[in-house]
Amino acid sequence: MKKIFTFLLLVCCVTSAFAQESVITGRVTSAADGMGLPGVSVIVKETTRGTATDAEGNYQIRVPDNNAVLVFRFLGYETQEVPVGNQSVINVSLGTDSEQLQEVVVTALGISREKKALGYAAQSVGSEELTQHRQPNVLNAMQGKVAGAVISSTGGAPGQGTDIRIRGINSIDPNRPHQPLFVIDGIQMDNSTSTFGQGTELRGMSNRLADLNPDDIESINVLRGGAATALYGLRGANGVVVITTKKGSQGALRVNFTSTAGIEEVNKFPDVQDTYTQGYLGEYDPESFWPSWGPTVAEARQIDPTHPTELYNHFQDAYETGSQFRNSLSFAGGTERFTFLSSISHLRHEGVLPFTDYENISARLNAEIKVSDKFRTGANFNYINSGGNRYNADRFNESLSYWSPRWDVRDFRTPDGTMNTYGNNNPIYGAATNQLEDDVNRFIGGLSFGYSPLSWLDFSYRIGLDTYNEDRTATAPGPRGLAGERVYEDNDQGFVNEYTTKFRAINSTFIATLNSSFGENFNGTLRLGHELYDRSTKSFGVEGSNLAVYDYFYLTNAQFLTPRQQQEEYRLMGFFGEASIDYRDFLFLTLTGRNDITSTLENFNRTFFYPSASLSYVFSEHLELPAFINQSKLRLSYAQIGKDALPYATSSGYGTYSVLPTGYTGYTRSALLGNEELRPEFTNTYEAGLEMSFFNNRLGFDLTYYYSLSKDQILSINVANTTGFIRAAVNSGEMRNAGIELALNATPIQTNDFSWNSSLVFSANRNKVLSIREGLEEITYASQFGYVGSTVTMKLIPGEAYGNIYGSHYQRYYGPGEEEDPLFLDESRPIVIGENGFPVRAPLSSQKILGNSQPDWIGGFTNTFTYKNLSLTGLIDARVGHEKYNQMGNFFSAFGIAEYTENRDDVIVFDGVLADGTPNTQPVYLGQGVGPDGVNYGNGFYRNVHRGVSENFVEDASWVRLRSLTLNYSLPEQWFNSIFIKNANVSLTGNNLLLSTNFSGYDPENSSTPSGSSVDGFAGFTYPAVRSYLFTLNLGF
Amino acid sequence: MKKIFRYTFALVMMGALFSLQSCEDYFDLDENPNLVNNPPLATMLATTTQKTGLNSQRVANITSYFVQYLAGPVAGGSTDTYQVTDYTSTWDALYLAMADIYDMKQKGIEAGASDYVGVANVLMAYNLSLVTDLWGDAPYSEAFVSTTLTPGFDSQEELYNTSLQLLDEAIAELSKTDSNVLLDPDSDLIHGGDKENWIKTAYALKARFLNKVSETSSYNPEAVLSAVDNAYTSNADNATMGVFQTRNPWATVALNNENLVLGGWLSEQFVEHLKGTTTGVFDPRIAQITDTTITGEYIGTPNGVGNVGSASNTVRDESYISRNSPLSGDESPLIIISYPEVKLIEAEAALRAGQTDRAYAAYLEAIEASMDLLEVDPAAAEEYLSDPAVAVGASDLTLDLIFNEKYVVTYLNPEAWNDARRYDYAYEGFELPANADLSTFIRRVAYPQGEASKNPNTPDSPVLSEELWWDE
Repeated sequence: MKKIFTFLLLVCCVTSAFAQESVITGRVTSAADGMGLPGVSVIVKETTRGTATDAEGNYQIRVPDNNAVLVFRFLGYETQEVPVGNQSVINVSLGTDSEQLQEVVVTALGISREKKALGYAAQSVGSEELTQHRQPNVLNAMQGKVAGAVISSTGGAPGQGTDIRIRGINSIDPNRPHQPLFVIDGIQMDNSTSTFGQGTELRGMSNRLADLNPDDIESINVLRGGAATALYGLRGANGVVVITTKKGSQGALRVNFTSTAGIEEVNKFPDVQDTYTQGYLGEYDPESFWPSWGPTVAEARQIDPTHPTELYNHFQDAYETGSQFRNSLSFAGGTERFTFLSSISHLRHEGVLPFTDYENISARLNAEIKVSDKFRTGANFNYINSGGNRYNADRFNESLSYWSPRWDVRDFRTPDGTMNTYGNNNPIYGAATNQLEDDVNRFIGGLSFGYSPLSWLDFSYRIGLDTYNEDRTATAPGPRGLAGERVYEDNDQGFVNEYTTKFRAINSTFIATLNSSFGENFNGTLRLGHELYDRSTKSFGVEGSNLAVYDYFYLTNAQFLTPRQQQEEYRLMGFFGEASIDYRDFLFLTLTGRNDITSTLENFNRTFFYPSASLSYVFSEHLELPAFINQSKLRLSYAQIGKDALPYATSSGYGTYSVLPTGYTGYTRSALLGNEELRPEFTNTYEAGLEMSFFNNRLGFDLTYYYSLSKDQILSINVANTTGFIRAAVNSGEMRNAGIELALNATPIQTNDFSWNSSLVFSANRNKVLSIREGLEEITYASQFGYVGSTVTMKLIPGEAYGNIYGSHYQRYYGPGEEEDPLFLDESRPIVIGENGFPVRAPLSSQKILGNSQPDWIGGFTNTFTYKNLSLTGLIDARVGHEKYNQMGNFFSAFGIAEYTENRDDVIVFDGVLADGTPNTQPVYLGQGVGPDGVNYGNGFYRNVHRGVSENFVEDASWVRLRSLTLNYSLPEQWFNSIFIKNANVSLTGNNLLLSTNFSGYDPENSSTPSGSSVDGFAGFTYPAVRSYLFTLNLGF
Repeated sequence: MKKIFRYTFALVMMGALFSLQSCEDYFDLDENPNLVNNPPLATMLATTTQKTGLNSQRVANITSYFVQYLAGPVAGGSTDTYQVTDYTSTWDALYLAMADIYDMKQKGIEAGASDYVGVANVLMAYNLSLVTDLWGDAPYSEAFVSTTLTPGFDSQEELYNTSLQLLDEAIAELSKTDSNVLLDPDSDLIHGGDKENWIKTAYALKARFLNKVSETSSYNPEAVLSAVDNAYTSNADNATMGVFQTRNPWATVALNNENLVLGGWLSEQFVEHLKGTTTGVFDPRIAQITDTTITGEYIGTPNGVGNVGSASNTVRDESYISRNSPLSGDESPLIIISYPEVKLIEAEAALRAGQTDRAYAAYLEAIEASMDLLEVDPAAAEEYLSDPAVAVGASDLTLDLIFNEKYVVTYLNPEAWNDARRYDYAYEGFELPANADLSTFIRRVAYPQGEASKNPNTPDSPVLSEELWWDE
């Protein structure tokens, strides 16, 4: 790093030799609005002499003689050359350069840079794109719009977490967060999904970004590669999402009011059989545990005349129509010295699963004060109150699978208020009584100070605070002791659990920026900075069970109390430098270096340095190209990023043994085997990109290729419990990600009244686990239950990709001398049929790859048609080539719920061969009990064979959907001439209107695991996704 | 300008160095605030004694179906019908308990606390026996240490020998009188700090282990009897654990069942055994084990069949684990090993050794102590004890009679399955569960997925009808 600085110092110092002749002063303004342009480079042609304009656009420069020519150059404007002659004051008005892509993007640490200078991929999403589909969670609003980002709703619950991952999973350790860093107005913002508290993993808790009001956001910029995020240091190792909120601008007060109201419904239900009713072995029993192994409805009605003529569709019946309302009001305005924006917003969201809801109140104040020409200060304050009633969708759908559709699940309460059921748990009663409510009070605030003592020198400092208190209250009533009372299983003896989490993160950033033009051809910027991040989380709770008064949810009313406590502190400090040099405005080189000091490693491994370099070559400015080619550039970058461990991975010890009652204290080995020797992990990323635009920017593309290799990863792997530990921290393993990203923009039609804009994003990532840990052949990081041997696991095996789902499979026929691949299933081979006529499951010791949860490619295709005041925008979103385990499908087989089990009374000959390779010819009965051939088939094909083979339930989870469609109408302004309304818009939005997928469960975008989890191969009993219809009114005053 | 750059650079660098030095402590956050480094031995004792008690129940919750104390309320239950079932949580609970026991032992050795070392050995021997009697080969010699993440598996016979050796070491350690730390009575959830009692328990377990190999050539009834001599002399000595966060886990099963979350249904085999259908004498302990049905009878459920008859599963027309029983009440302690069991071990070993008088006396004493433990009305107990089917006389005492008595004595204890396997399930009327997955009685359980998936040393599970080494 030192070398780089020395080099830069030398380069910069070349400019400092000059003689004293005449002095020219003047002001540079923008031709467009006549405002002064700060930072314009003013150079004496053919010399190394130069300066830059101040904040008002004024400059002063010494010239050798009257023959001198001044060159005025400013990014995004046309360069002007003015001969000095006899003038001593030269005022210049610069016109904008329509040839150039003038896009300015917010890069790392809030630094605004012209897009063409960037040697790495960056993609931004503007306010309009973010809000047009009225998604309550900002992350959902980004779906299908950013190349390289896989964004998934984990389910359709109000406020439910949404997951984002950029350029694939880069850690072998599934417990390591893969979420990018979120930075809002320069402040690092927490986006964790807390699962503190009993059973919260399955209750669809919010990711903390959900707190943000999407209407507040001006733009979101996604920094994907190592070079882009280098200045953020290790916290940016998974990419960075830079959010900029709206600001006020000088002028009259602007008031904006937006109101959205809408309804939603489940977008996809699984297919269920409607022929067979309650019972087992074909025998009708209206109180049987078994929902669907009884006789046909017609047969049951002969025995029980009260049996309904048709079975209920309990899946459809159990869900309702949800609703959402959001109202946002904002005020913006300011003077030359002071600008502000304030906003307030309220969201109320009722879910499709009964008794689930979410509410969010957000208030914001953004202010900027220009104290003097040299000193400026700003403040951003955001207060949020959010939370709602969450229910365990996994439990709901599981209970729903046990529920017999012979009975109406909606009739869930008896007149006395206890559970109404024929025997099994009623899921709706569960949702009504077994509740968890969270309540978050959050404050995100930042103060910034800027001081520019000299035109080429700027100091900026920002301090930010993100803090919240989250209360969670879980309650369930106890039994009332009434005769014949049915208790909902999970409610047990009644409980009240109270949890509180206090979160606080302080983030301080100091940057010194030094600008210099040296010579006609070079401009240079040097930034030096310091950053500190200090986070502390403390959670505690008390779980009270056995309520004395059955529905009094007060801790003192509980017979047994169990305390919970958990705390964590994390500190990180970085020093960084960035030097950028541009040559004649077409070649841009940026070098960065950062040294991090982390609290999660022992002091001998605590401090580490990593560099990056990126180059942007705007060849359209350098080479003579055909006229139809507009600005085009080539990018190259290399970056190294270090990564530290999760807190406390270096230590082991003894934790509280919490199964003892009050009055006893016990300690037990910590779950994690810590490792003092942990070293930082490094990832090397190489990236190349090509951006081109054509036909006056009517067509353009941006293509990126990247390759990244993480070595010596810090992992906490699950270990066999025979070690006495559950997990162990190790430094090992290599993982590679490589991929392409493509963004295409086109304006096929552009007339005065009509335009058609089209944009396509496409990306594909390929992952490979190169090595794990010596002595380990595989690392199992997740598993999900399946009946009798169909449990699937997700594990890492060197040479294979992250996300593989392993499970049991049918035995395939291999002839003499043919070798069976131990990992891959050869589905082209015939299935081996046993002597009993049924397909044979391979021994459970053979677990093969049945699918992979990572998509082959993702794409988003947005089209906007505008005709006068009317516009229509549609987004088609696709995720193709990935599989998920459908646990609900496994239960559907085991309980005879799936539509395909309607063939249970058939006698068929299974397609396949016998062990000796000859075709199977034996007919068998698929049902339970004695078949037409007099043979006793016991529990039947589905329970004996089908449910026990994972292969049947790892399904293609690819989908293509019409993510959203919005029709917007701007009411003609002349309508409001006489009143105070300045503009008005109405729009209609449909989200998730169409879904095309082969997956048999709910929407396969959902996940059984909470947002932020790297385990994404399970999508069975999830909170179903929704289709929503929204009406929005926007008024400006 | 050059100067300015240099000053700035120097200032930043100085600032950096300064903050680096002053911040050395600032980054020292490696101590996890959620953990302690060196917990007192007493806190480890509380953990290990409770875990051991709970593990005995966890294992019994599996084996009680195999010996048909319990039967599934729903047809085709996986444990009930011998299906390959994943008992990862039980396996893990056993090993995580043994890890704590291992640590307590190491800390005990460091502290010169021989009492704690002794207790650790007893607890280790017991937990290890639970593991190997379920699965056979299992990790021990490479387990619990942080040097390997994939412990190798020791053979079942080695594990058996290890557990015996642990008991001998325990007896030696507990016999020392110079322990630096005395057992904390409040934290010893099994014997309340009474180390004499721990010695008796070590002998009781030793007798149990030595007697378990009755089918092998290494069986030595004299060795069993000599262990018995140093073991329990009354129910007051029993190794029990009765400290629960809420209530006895069997009581929780019973309570859930009362609330129609079904479970804890007594098997027809066990109920008929107690009623005398298969033994010829009504056993008064039945009233202390379960409650009568709404029709005033005792009715068990056949294994593998589930709820019998057309009556609804909400009508209490079968017998269940009862919260009124001294064995499964809310505050009843879990029994690890008891005086009546030791007396029946004595009876068996004495009978096999040809000491029929000793055998018969022990047999009668066992029954009486069992009646006592279950708080049976003395008159009813006396009636049972004097029934000709029970009071057969020393010369007519048979192994069958002993095994039949032991079947009742070890109700809800994992040891029952060891006996059933040794006895080849020869209890009168004992049948395979309906739609059983095996054609013969179950002899072992399959290795859990949790271990198999993370430890490549895990052997493939043999068929579940394959006997363990002492059962061949």
